[in-house]
Amino acid sequence: MVDTLQPPVAAPATDFDFHRLVDVEAGWIDRRIFWDEGIYQLELERIFARCWAFVGHESQFAAPGDFVTTYIGQDAVIVAKDRRGEVNVFLNSCTHRGNRVCFAETGSTRQFTCNFHGWAFGLDGGLISAHEEHHYSRCATFDKSKLGLHRARTATYKGLIFATFDPEAPSLDEYLGDYRYYLDVLLDNDPGGTEFLDGNVKSRLRCNWKFAAENFVGDAYHAGWTHASAAAALFQRDVKVNPAHSYQANINGHGTEFGLDLFGNAMALAEPEVVEYLKENEARFAERLGKLRSRMVGAMSSSNVFPNLAYLTGLNTWRVWVPKGPHEIELNTWVLVNRDMPKRLKEAYRRGVSRTFSPTGMFESDDGENWEHCTHSNAGVVTRRQKLHYGLGLDSRMEHEEFPGAVYHVQLNDANQRAFYQRWADLMSASRWADVPKR
Amino acid sequence: MSVNATLDREREPAPRRRASLDFVHEVQQFLYREARLLDEQRYDDWFELMTEDFTYWVPVPQSRYRRDKKPTYEPGRMAHFDDTLTELKLRASRWKEKTAWSEDPPTRNVHYVTNIEIAPAEGAQDWLVRSVAISLRTRNEDEENWLGGRREDLIRETPDGLKLVRRWVFLTQTVLLSKNFNTFI
Repeated sequence: MVDTLQPPVAAPATDFDFHRLVDVEAGWIDRRIFWDEGIYQLELERIFARCWAFVGHESQFAAPGDFVTTYIGQDAVIVAKDRRGEVNVFLNSCTHRGNRVCFAETGSTRQFTCNFHGWAFGLDGGLISAHEEHHYSRCATFDKSKLGLHRARTATYKGLIFATFDPEAPSLDEYLGDYRYYLDVLLDNDPGGTEFLDGNVKSRLRCNWKFAAENFVGDAYHAGWTHASAAAALFQRDVKVNPAHSYQANINGHGTEFGLDLFGNAMALAEPEVVEYLKENEARFAERLGKLRSRMVGAMSSSNVFPNLAYLTGLNTWRVWVPKGPHEIELNTWVLVNRDMPKRLKEAYRRGVSRTFSPTGMFESDDGENWEHCTHSNAGVVTRRQKLHYGLGLDSRMEHEEFPGAVYHVQLNDANQRAFYQRWADLMSASRWADVPKR
Repeated sequence: MSVNATLDREREPAPRRRASLDFVHEVQQFLYREARLLDEQRYDDWFELMTEDFTYWVPVPQSRYRRDKKPTYEPGRMAHFDDTLTELKLRASRWKEKTAWSEDPPTRNVHYVTNIEIAPAEGAQDWLVRSVAISLRTRNEDEENWLGGRREDLIRETPDGLKLVRRWVFLTQTVLLSKNFNTFI
């Protein structure tokens, strides 16, 4: 029996010295990383096929048979809950001729049947049957136990479901590391846990995926200028961060920039009930999270979990930057709320996020314009030779008695973006997980 | 709701009474003018065409199997718009700010309205007006985006002329094939 899954083939881009392309010590980035097709192909191998990818929230899989289709890198996958209550993640491509097996975005089903020859796969990806299967009765290589859809490893963290195709990847807990301290701000501020609101919003942006990720991992600086019009319309004033009590923190390329202002981000929803909820529940949040973290629950902040899962406290938008080539992404967004929150508050989040962080929203439409043109200017060969400046806050590293990870003073800072690219270079340079340093 | 995944549906009854030719003409002119006001980004004039309790719903369609019990479009799911008139005005107010960098130079807009059908609605002064709307937007040098949908409007005859009471837009794109949608449809 041949092994039907081949080992990865090293892409030619391994010739690059990735730690030179991203000079995180001095803060300079080579623009080829946003444009080069070879680098992108190696990202698919060494980042997206190896890291833990976010594939859904447990609340999307209430009953056996519930499924969603999504992507890990450019690999189409099905996420489905089986009869035993396990959520499985497997490739959405038939093992016979490779056709896509499931065309629905979401729904409930008993099995996934390929349109081409009727090969039918179960909720765990296993091959159940084929159309007129008796034709295979004398075919020695037709072993149904070996012709299932290729499965990824799965693991959950407080409601979030992750998957990886790399058997050598560290455990999800190790992968997230102490970043879990920051994730808990939204995932564990209430004893009832969290859920995704029904439905999501998808859009296409002609940008490199890293411009979106670096924006959320640590670009507080753009908010005051890029989003000036939204701030003026909502608050009749500029967005200002508090330099004395704001920070950046990063661990293993995951990062968050944040203030301790409790409801700074939430204000943008223009739903007064949400701000009231945060104020009224501050003491309850503190019981679970401690005083400092309770001040982060709706604060001015943005975050990105390496490589491409991002979220905003206060606005509670969760999003994945799905790569669609070196110069395009699909933005896939959901809204996360506390499960025990009153229904009218959930409704306030649903409508408020649509007005702010959706393709029709007052903030998001400006971001896409920037990222697209940051990407496409690199079509110019001379333009690409000009390195980009990532030097803000090179001297801002600090120690903090509570905050884990590498902590930096003032959220207006390029520190998290440098750390994101350091992790990127670590992974791009390493042929094995064992060679990837902990950061 | 106008669109559902299942083909197993009741037959549609024939319209009860027909709008007069004059009224059809009036509604057409109303919708054409409305589309032009959006092309010209005259939002204050556009909002004058709505009643105070106007609601605007543009759900995000979901691609589901026909056998699925849940429909393509469903209230309560994430939506591109699910707004009152006040909330629409808040969105539009951003575009008037000098700091709306990505709107300067402005997007070139064409709103195309066709397939107009007029049927009586419940209120004596109300009409259910169906149409197809297509938005063409062009930005910068080579950015061109098309977005189309089927609309169901509730339009009221008032002493101040026709007013939009409610608009639902059922888009065809499940994945919005552009970075944003910076107009109304």
